[in-house]
Amino acid sequence: MKYLVCISRTPETTAKIAFTDGNTQFDKNGVQYILNPYDEWYALVRALELKEAGGGTVTVINVGTAENDAVIRKALAIGADDAVRIDTDPKSAMNVAKQISEYVKSNPHDIILCGKETIDYNSGEVGGMIAEFLDIPFVSYGEHLDIEGSSATVKRDIEGGSQTVKVNLPAVISAAKGMAEQRIPNMRGIMMAKRKPLNIVPAVPFEDAATVIGYTLPEGKSAVKMIDPENMDELVRLLQEEAKVL
Amino acid sequence: MSKYISIENLKFALFELLESDKLFALDHYKDLDKDSVNIMMDAIKDYADKSMYPVFKEMDQQPAVYEDGKIIVHPAIGRFMKDAGENGWIGPTFSYEDGGMQLPHVFHTAASHIMECANNNMTGYTGLTGGAANLIATYGTSTLKEMYVSNMLEGKWAGTMCLTEPQAGSSLSDIITSASPQTDGSYKIKGHKIFISGGDHEYSENFIHLVLARIEGAPLGTKGISLFAVPKNRITDNSGLEYNDVLTAGEFQKMGQKGYCTTHLVFGENDDCYGHLVGAENQGLKNMFQMMNGARIDVGMTAASVATAAFYASLQYAQERSQGRRILPGGVKNVEAQQTSIINHPDVKRMLLLQKAVTEGSIALLLQASLYHDLSHHSSEEDKEKYHLLLELLTPIAKTYPSEMGRVSISNGLQILGGYGFCTEFSLEQYYRDIRIMSLYEGTTGIQSLDLLGRKVVMKNGETMKLLTKEIIASIAAASNYDDLKPYADKLKSASKNLEQVVMHLLQFAMSGNHERYIADATIFMEMMSNVVIAWQWLKMATTAKTALVTGNTIQTSEFYESKIHTMRFFFKYELAKNNGFKETLMDPDSLTILEDKKSVLA
Repeated sequence: MKYLVCISRTPETTAKIAFTDGNTQFDKNGVQYILNPYDEWYALVRALELKEAGGGTVTVINVGTAENDAVIRKALAIGADDAVRIDTDPKSAMNVAKQISEYVKSNPHDIILCGKETIDYNSGEVGGMIAEFLDIPFVSYGEHLDIEGSSATVKRDIEGGSQTVKVNLPAVISAAKGMAEQRIPNMRGIMMAKRKPLNIVPAVPFEDAATVIGYTLPEGKSAVKMIDPENMDELVRLLQEEAKVL
Repeated sequence: MSKYISIENLKFALFELLESDKLFALDHYKDLDKDSVNIMMDAIKDYADKSMYPVFKEMDQQPAVYEDGKIIVHPAIGRFMKDAGENGWIGPTFSYEDGGMQLPHVFHTAASHIMECANNNMTGYTGLTGGAANLIATYGTSTLKEMYVSNMLEGKWAGTMCLTEPQAGSSLSDIITSASPQTDGSYKIKGHKIFISGGDHEYSENFIHLVLARIEGAPLGTKGISLFAVPKNRITDNSGLEYNDVLTAGEFQKMGQKGYCTTHLVFGENDDCYGHLVGAENQGLKNMFQMMNGARIDVGMTAASVATAAFYASLQYAQERSQGRRILPGGVKNVEAQQTSIINHPDVKRMLLLQKAVTEGSIALLLQASLYHDLSHHSSEEDKEKYHLLLELLTPIAKTYPSEMGRVSISNGLQILGGYGFCTEFSLEQYYRDIRIMSLYEGTTGIQSLDLLGRKVVMKNGETMKLLTKEIIASIAAASNYDDLKPYADKLKSASKNLEQVVMHLLQFAMSGNHERYIADATIFMEMMSNVVIAWQWLKMATTAKTALVTGNTIQTSEFYESKIHTMRFFFKYELAKNNGFKETLMDPDSLTILEDKKSVLA
C-alpha cells in the first residue's frame, strides 16, 4: 500500500498576524512556522500506523519553496519514508491541488491523505480538488480510517453525529481530530530524517483564476462589562442585543 | 494554557547570541544541523505542553510519600521515564558508542530548560539517571557499562548520586560509608546516605546508585574516597534481578519540589549489599565531580527555568489585573477614568523587568557555560584548555546566580499578585517554594562562593580570570561600535576594573597567610562577580539585538530586539549599580564575622 500525505507549513498558533503592502500580503516578520497540525497529528500519523500494521510506504508531499524544508524534515523525523517538494510558491489551494494531482498522475498512490484544513487559511479545499483533478473519490473530515483490501472504511463527522462510508481505492481522505494521536519525533528519528530522500520536482505551469484583493483583521475584543449579579435582566439584554448569542 | 516559556528567547540565545550552530562544523557533531535541533526542541515543547505542565500543580498537591517501606510518586513519573527513554532524551550527549546521539550540551541544556519551565518536579529523575550513566560510561569498566548504561538510557533503570551522610553534608571528607573488597572483585557496601534525590519509586525496576564510600584502610579526608556503582537489585547469573540490600528508610518532606522524592537509603543493613568500583581507588570525589559540575549547571538551569515560568505567570497577571489609575502630569489622578492594568504602574514594571533581566541573563550564561563545555571537548588542543578553564570559573556562578536571584525575582513576581500571590490558587507561591532548594542542591551558595574565590579565581595563578576578562573586553569592544551602547560598555569596563581591584585587595590577606579573612566574605564576592558576568551577558545580548536591527537581518520581531536593549539598560541601572556597595563592603577593613577573642556578638 502506498500512502501519500499532503503536508503544509503554517504559522505557529500564537504568531502575531499582520499584513503588509496595503493589506494584500501576510507579514512574515518574526513569524515562526510549524507543520500544519491536522496534516501532522492525524493524516501522517494514521498513515504511519496503517503502514506499520499492513506494510507499504509513506511519502509526504508539499508544494512550496525551500523555506518549507524544515517542516518536511519534521514529517520525515516522525516516520515518513521519503518526501517530495514541488518547487513553487502557490497562491491558492487550487494551485496546490493541481501540482499534487499532476505528481500523482505519474506517481500513483493508493491513498492520499491530507488534514481537514490548514490552520492559516482554513479553506479545506485541497483534498476535494485533488480528487476532482484525479477523478477519484474524496471523503472529508475522517475521524477513523481502516483499510481492507482495495477499499477504505472512513468514519466521518457530520452535523449531529457521524457517518461511516466505504470507498474504493485510490481515494483522497481528509483527516480530522480523532483519526490518530500526535507522535513526538524521537532523537533517532530526527537524526535519520536528515538522511531520508527529499525529492524536489519542478512545478507544472498554472495560472490562478482568482486573486486576493485584501485581508482584514477581526475587530479587537471590547472591554469586559461587569454586570451586577442581581441584574439578570441586563445580562440577558446584553447577550441578546450586543453579543447576539441568545 | 498559560505561557511558561519563551521559545523565541531560547532560540535567540542559541542561534543569534551564541551561534551554537557553528558546532555542527566540528567533526564530532557533523551529523546534526540546525533543523535537527529545532525539531527536537519543538517536539519537547509539544511534549511539555501536553504531559508535563498539566501535572505541575498536581504533583505539588500529591507529594512523594513513604508508605509501607516504599516511595509513592505521581504516576506521571512513570510515563515520563518511559517517554524520555524512548525519545532519546536521557543522555543524548553520549557518544554513539555509548548509546547517545552526540548532541552538544548547549542544546541539551536548552531542551532541559523547556521541560523544567513546564514542570521542575519531573526532570531530576531523568537528569540524574543520565548523569549517573555518564559517570559509568566515562570511568566504569566495559563490563559495568554493559551491565547498566543501556537500561538507564532507555529509562528502564534510574540512577542517583549518593554523597551526603547524616554527619557529612557539605563536609564530604567526613563520610564513613565503607567498602570491603571481595574476592570476586566487588565490594561489600555499608552505610547511610541521606537527601538522595529520585532515590526510589515504583516506576523503575532498578536503581543504580553512584555511592561515595571509603575502602577499608583508605587515607582520611577526601583523598580516601572512592566511587561505587551500587544497584538496588543486582543482576543474577541468569540475568535476573535480586535484592541487593539497599533499603529505603524514608522520604524527606520538603517545602518545595514535593513531587521530586528525596530519600534516605541504607546500604548493607543485612550485610548483603555489593557494588563495583567506578574508576580508580581513592579517586571517587574527583570522578564524582564530573557529574557534580554537570549537575551544578543543571541546577542553575532548573532555577532559571522555575524563575522563567514565574515571570510569565506574573506578567500575564499584570496585564490582566486592573488597579488604580496612572498619575497624570501635575500629580493628579482622574478618578472617573477606568482603572489601569497594573503593568502600567512603574513599580510593577520595575519588578517585571527585574524578573526578565534575571531570567534571560541567567539563561544566556547557562547556555554560554554549556557551549564552553562542548568546546572544551571538541576544539583545538589550545582552545580546549581555554574553554575548560572558563567553564570551571563560571560554573559556581552559573549555579548560584540563577538560584539566588531567581528566588528574588520570583519574590518580586509574587509581590505583583498582591495577596493572590500568597494563595495556592495561583502558581507563584509554588514557584517560590520550588526554587528555594536550588541554592542548597549540589553545594550551597556558601560552598559555591568558597569554590569561586578560594579556588577558581586563583586557578592557574590568576590566568583563568584573565581569560574571562579577555572575553569581556571583546564584548565591550563590540558594543562600543554602537553609540547608544557605548555608555554601557564603559560601565561594564569600570565594573570589571572594580572587581579586579577587589580581588587584588583580598589577595593580600591570602598572601599574608590569613586565608580565613580572604574567604570570609566570599558570598558577597560571588554577588559582585555574578553581576559583572550577567552584565557581560546582557551587553552581548544588546549588541546582538542592535546588530539585527541595524542590518535588518532579523529572525524575531523588532519589538523583541528592542526589549533586549531596554532590559540591558535596566540591568545596568538597577543591578550592576549595586556593585559599588559590594566593593565598599569587600574592601572595608573592619572584619566583623571573624572573632579572634571568641567573644560572642550574637548574645
